[in-house]
Amino acid sequence: MADEQQVPQADDIVRVDGLYKKYAKKANWAVENVSFAVRAGEIVGLLGHNGAGKSTTLRCLEGMLPFEKGSISICGKNIVKDPVGAKANMGFVTDDHAVFVKMTGMQYIDFMADVYKVPQGERAARLAALEEIFSLGDSIHNLIASYSHGMRQKICMMGSLIHKPRLWILDEPMTGLDPRTMRAVQDFMLSYAKEGNGILFSSHALGTVAKICDRVVLIRKGKQVSDVNVKEIAAQNPQFDFEEYFLQNERQA
Amino acid sequence: MKDRLDFSLLGALLRKNRQERAAAFKKGNFNAVGFIFRVLLTLVLIAVFVVFFGEFLEIYLKVETGGAADTSARLYEVLTIVYAAVLIAMIVGAISQINRALFSADDIKIMSALPVGAKTLYVSKLITIYLSQLVFALVCVSAINLTAAVHAPQGGTFYIFTVLACLFLPLLSVGVASVLALPFHAVKTALKDRFVLSFIVITVVTAALLLVYAWLLRGVKELLLGDDLRYFFNESVMASVAALVSALVPANFIAGILLGRNVLVGSVAVLAALLVCTVLSLFFIRLILARAMQSRISGGGNAVRRKKGLKKQHSPLAALMKKEFLMIFRTPNYMFSYFAVALVVPLMVYFCMSIGSSLVVRLIAVQCDLELAVFLSLLFGSLANVFCTTNISRDGAMFYSVKAMPVDPKTVIFSKVLLCLVVTALSQLLSAALLCVTGYLSVPYAFFLFAVGALFGFAQICIATRIDFSYAKFSTEPDGEIKESGNTVSIMIVAGLVISFLVGGAVVLIRMMFALRGLAGQFAYLTFVVAGVVALVSAALGYFFLMHNLKVRYYRFSGGWL
Repeated sequence: MADEQQVPQADDIVRVDGLYKKYAKKANWAVENVSFAVRAGEIVGLLGHNGAGKSTTLRCLEGMLPFEKGSISICGKNIVKDPVGAKANMGFVTDDHAVFVKMTGMQYIDFMADVYKVPQGERAARLAALEEIFSLGDSIHNLIASYSHGMRQKICMMGSLIHKPRLWILDEPMTGLDPRTMRAVQDFMLSYAKEGNGILFSSHALGTVAKICDRVVLIRKGKQVSDVNVKEIAAQNPQFDFEEYFLQNERQA
Repeated sequence: MKDRLDFSLLGALLRKNRQERAAAFKKGNFNAVGFIFRVLLTLVLIAVFVVFFGEFLEIYLKVETGGAADTSARLYEVLTIVYAAVLIAMIVGAISQINRALFSADDIKIMSALPVGAKTLYVSKLITIYLSQLVFALVCVSAINLTAAVHAPQGGTFYIFTVLACLFLPLLSVGVASVLALPFHAVKTALKDRFVLSFIVITVVTAALLLVYAWLLRGVKELLLGDDLRYFFNESVMASVAALVSALVPANFIAGILLGRNVLVGSVAVLAALLVCTVLSLFFIRLILARAMQSRISGGGNAVRRKKGLKKQHSPLAALMKKEFLMIFRTPNYMFSYFAVALVVPLMVYFCMSIGSSLVVRLIAVQCDLELAVFLSLLFGSLANVFCTTNISRDGAMFYSVKAMPVDPKTVIFSKVLLCLVVTALSQLLSAALLCVTGYLSVPYAFFLFAVGALFGFAQICIATRIDFSYAKFSTEPDGEIKESGNTVSIMIVAGLVISFLVGGAVVLIRMMFALRGLAGQFAYLTFVVAGVVALVSAALGYFFLMHNLKVRYYRFSGGWL
């Protein structure tokens, strides 16, 4: 299974080239020479064992962490040269569900809409559409401090989508969600990608990855192992077992 | 199974508590400069106390009752009152520590799932609290007793009992605090999520404490303005002191034992108090722990707020300022440290002005209200602005999330500075207006005071934010609240005090110098020049310090975690 060649394409929503990241006082690279792209309409899974460098890669992409070498561009805008422009096209959900707990859910959505400059006239409709999927109900008027893990996850997702980003980045999105919401989120991811947006997410839920991802980028000890089109492979080989493929890659380490 | 005290587990829990405390001194986490400032600040406070207490003792020990001086009786009275004050401070501290350890600390949740008995867990917490109280008692009691011994030499038993007092006082404070911890928690829970009510209660309590402080200051003023300080302590005042001392149980017994007065009765009373405290604290163990476990597991209430729809569109700066405001207003500790303190600063300035104004005239025969007002505004304003040293740390992990949003670094940092500036400016405006209304300052002088205060406030906010940017320390508490003041706080307190004394002292000295030569009128403008120029330069320097290389530092920021 040959990896895809990384040739810049016009419909690249995100493009990562030769990314290197090292944490202070650590000898090894946390991320070493990682390159991949997410194109319009694609769902890309970022996989790897715990501590492989998935979250670090995503945090560099989101502009949270500085990196030593390489380049990241979102919708053609370089994250270092034009950080505000690049971030305006992106919505993100972190694995720690960091959110302002002293706000109510509604105040948080309002805050995100203000920061991403969502026009006043479109807010109510967008919120209603998100409410359909995530169904927080009356809890949206409660303080986030009183939310359960899953509810925080939902409000983070709602906040990250209020501005309809071209790129949606999620770190471990399915953790803590109830089965109904998990299914709703999966369906939403598929339809959102179909609208021409890109989705990049990290996960350990191989079933979900196999089901919704177009491509998968595998990272091991900070290094990129492969970048494969799982949909194509599965189409060519009906016996393809994604879980076995992943574990085989891990064993080769 | 009966809940017994498991000593091997107790050792493990104490080791865990010690390791957690020692983490702050580990390489990488240890801020040597801040630590030195902290130690220096403590030493300065002790030195100031020792000097003033010594001066007071010098006068008070000579006070006569019934026509005769009784040094031993006077010392007994002083020590009783001071021990009572120390004990009250320790009890208040212990209540807060018990609440924090049992209701806020994350480890209770983990411990409740481990095979650790409730009694063992609570005792381990109490021992840790006792040890921190012991350190406080050692510092306070030794400073008090050594100063007392210098002015009224004592025998060897006094020193032996001093050590015993240090050991017993924390037992009493922790025992009493155990009893009061639950009612305190109940009040806290009742006020939880009732932010406006909390704000009113906190501000009123702070203002009430301030009235007590003002009353004490007035007493000091009376003492200092008296022709002979001993006349202040006339027969009626001394009778009130005696009545107060006899009511201050068990502080009076502890003072009695130290001075060899009714040692037997005192010892029995103190031992009885210890016994009662121990029994009460043991009785409350089960009650407090059950409540603590319950509240930690259930995660507290689920306050529903008024259902409000989406608001009208705001700019990112306004949205970030609103976020900052909500974060402070809805966290009781933050609300007190900043909003309530900033609101009572004008009262503090006014009280000190009302005392200081006539005092200065009496002592040096020079009217220097504006200069004194500048000094007081800077002093109290700087203490309120110390809160800004957590401008970055307060955000915790969310600081990174904000970094990932399409907002310019200047907007993010300005939202913090601007909110603080609004609070500071309001506080300074109220101070100036209060002094103007009460006749201490004319309108132009009040306006000048406001401008100087606001400019210094701006400088301090910028510097505090910049320092926190370099040494940000995010909270590891589950709610992300910063509960312990870091070393940056000590640095900013010391810097604020130094600047206030330097600028305030300089304008007062200049005024005095020219007034004594009869040139006060001709050189009145010097106060405006000195204070105005220094304020402007400070504001400009503060702004430059914060803004220099801000963009690069913001995008390269990767600190905050321990």
